[in-house]
Amino acid sequence: MGVERRHALASAALGRTTTTSPEESPGQAALTGIAGQIIDISPHLVILENPDGEEERLVIAPWATAWHGRPTAPAELPAGTRVMIRARQSGRVAERLWGDITRVTGVILALGRDGRDLTVVLDCGPHRGTRNVVVPYGASGRIRVRHPQFEPGFLFDAIGTRRDGVTRVALPATSQPTYRAASVPSPPPAYRAVQSRISGTAAWSDAFDDGEAGVAYPMLERADSECEDAGVSCTGLPYLALGSMLYVGNVCESRGAVLPIVACGCMAGRFCDRCVECGTSPRGRIAELSPLSFVELGGELTNGCFNARVGLG
Amino acid sequence: MADMTDLTVLAALPQVPAFATAALALLVLLLVLGGAAKMATAGSDAEPGGLARLGPGALMPERWRKPFLMFCAGGECVLAAGLLFTRHPLPRWGTVAFFSVATYVLWELRRRRPDVGCGCFGEASGTPVGLRSIGRATALAGMAVLVTLVPVSGADLAARASLELAVAFGAGLALLVVLSPEVSETIARVRYRAPCEQRAVPVARTVSRLRASAEWRSHLPMLESDQPVDTWRELCWRFFVYRIKATAGAEVVFAVYLSGRRPPVRVAVVGADGATSTAGTIGTGGTPGTAHASGPAEGARAAGTTGAAEGSGSPGDGRLQESIGVSGRH
Repeated sequence: MGVERRHALASAALGRTTTTSPEESPGQAALTGIAGQIIDISPHLVILENPDGEEERLVIAPWATAWHGRPTAPAELPAGTRVMIRARQSGRVAERLWGDITRVTGVILALGRDGRDLTVVLDCGPHRGTRNVVVPYGASGRIRVRHPQFEPGFLFDAIGTRRDGVTRVALPATSQPTYRAASVPSPPPAYRAVQSRISGTAAWSDAFDDGEAGVAYPMLERADSECEDAGVSCTGLPYLALGSMLYVGNVCESRGAVLPIVACGCMAGRFCDRCVECGTSPRGRIAELSPLSFVELGGELTNGCFNARVGLG
Repeated sequence: MADMTDLTVLAALPQVPAFATAALALLVLLLVLGGAAKMATAGSDAEPGGLARLGPGALMPERWRKPFLMFCAGGECVLAAGLLFTRHPLPRWGTVAFFSVATYVLWELRRRRPDVGCGCFGEASGTPVGLRSIGRATALAGMAVLVTLVPVSGADLAARASLELAVAFGAGLALLVVLSPEVSETIARVRYRAPCEQRAVPVARTVSRLRASAEWRSHLPMLESDQPVDTWRELCWRFFVYRIKATAGAEVVFAVYLSGRRPPVRVAVVGADGATSTAGTIGTGGTPGTAHASGPAEGARAAGTTGAAEGSGSPGDGRLQESIGVSGRH
C-alpha cells in the first residue's frame, strides 16, 4: 500500500480537513521551480525538455544569472545540461539557472587520490547508497577549510556538478560538524511548553526524482520507514511518517508550503549546523527539501540552506 | 606488627565495624551501578551521545575508548564481587587503588578537558567534571581505605543489621548524593520528560492497547485479517489500516493515542473512493482514564473543524500536536 493515502486516511480517522493550501505570502510573487534538460539556449530564451518529456520555452530575464560549477552567464550553459530554474510570471521568465548541480551529503567511508585531485567515497544512507566524489585540486582548499576532519567516520556536505556520471564538488555546503556521524549530540531536554513551530535549518538534497516536490524528514519511526538510520536528530523533533504533510516555511523570504514527506532524512538528522542566510538559525537541520521545493520556497541552491520553520501541515 | 596492633585497636572501637560495613555496602552499590551504566553506554555507542564527551575516554585514542570503558565496567564488577564475597585484601587494595587513580584522573580531566563529563555512570554523567565529582571519588577512596583496614564482607552486612548500620549507611548515602551531579541531572530529565510526540513508543504496546479497545471489538468481525496492511505514526497517534471483508478496496483506519494506559481510539471506515462512511471515537467509558482520554480526541476534533489553537482540557502531551496541527493550516 502506498504511503500517499496515509494523509487522507489519518484525516478521516481524526476528523481533520485534508485541504493543504500553502501558507499565504503577502506581497511576494510566486516562484516556480522548473527542472529539465537544455535543448537550446540563447541570451534571451531557453528551450528545455522537462522530466515528462515535454518541451518548455522560457524567457531569460535581463538580470538572470547562472551557475555551472562557478557563476556564469545563462547563455554559456551548454546544450544537454540538466538545469534547475527559478522562474517568475507563472514559470515563464527564468531568473536563476543552476546547471548540473548536485549535492553530496554523507559519511566519509574512504579517501584516495587521483593525480592532484582527492577522491572520497561517501555513505549517503541506506536508501541512497554509496557515492564516489572527486574533490578537484582547485576546490580542495575551499572544501578542506570547512571540512577540517577529512577522515573516515566524519560527515561531509558539499555542492558541485554531476556530468557524465562523475560528481565533482565545488563548494562546501556547510561547516563540517566536529563530532563523528555516529556521535550526534542528544537534543536539549524537552519542555512541556507548547511549541507550534520548530525552527532550524532546511537544506536540499538531490536524492529525489527530477521535478519531484517533497521533503525528507529525519524523525521517522525506523520500522515504518524501512530506514535503519532514521529517528536521529539533534533537535527535539516530533515523530512523523512517510506520507505526512509537513509545513515548511522559509523565514528569510516569508514563504511557506505544505509538502509531503517522501523520504527518510537520515543524513539531515546528523547535522547540528546553523544556517546564516538571514540571521543565525537555531541549531539543527530539520528537513531536506527536493531541489524543486527548495527553489520554490526562495532558497538559493548554492547557499545550501535557509532558516526554516516546520509544523504539521 | 605495629600495623596489626593498629588494626586490632581500630576494629575494637564500637562504631567502626558498623561504619566499615556501611562503607562496604555503599562501595558495592556504586561499583555495581557504575559498572552497569558504563556497560550500557559502551553497548549503545552507535547512537547519539558518543563516548568522546565522556570521562577518561576523552583522553585516549579513539579506538581504545570503547574497550577502555568495557574494561572499567568489568573491573568495577569484579571489585564489587570481591568486596562482597571475600575478605581477601586484594579486592580491597584494588578498590583503594581504583578510587585513588579515579580521583587523580578526574582532577587531570578537569584541567585538560573541562568540557567533558566524568562518565562515572556512563551517559548519565555528562555534566562537566567539577569539585563534586572529585570529592565523591575522594570520599569513595576514603571508604575503600576503611574497608581495607577493617576487612568486613557481605556476610557482616547481614549479620550486623542494626539501627546504627542503617544510620551510617544513610549518612554515607546522603554524602554521596550531595556529591553527585547526576542526581540533579536525573531530576531534570524526569521533570522535563520529553512530550509524547518525541518519545519512542513500541508498536507492540500500541497494538495491545488497540486490541483491548471497544472499537476494535466492534469492528473485528468485518476485518479481512487481524494483521494491518499499513501502520504508521504521526505525532502522538499511531494509525492501523485493515481491509474489509465484504467491500473491495474499503478499509478501516484505527488511530490510537500513544499516551496513557487506556488511550482514546478513533476509527473511520473509508470506502474505495476515499469517502468516509463512519467515524467516531470510543472513549474508555466508565474507566478512570476517561477524563484524560477524551482530551486529545476532543482536541483533534476541534483542530479539524474550528481551528482552535488548543483543545480545552487536553493534557500537556496533546497540546503540541494540536497547536502544530492547527497552525499548519493558517
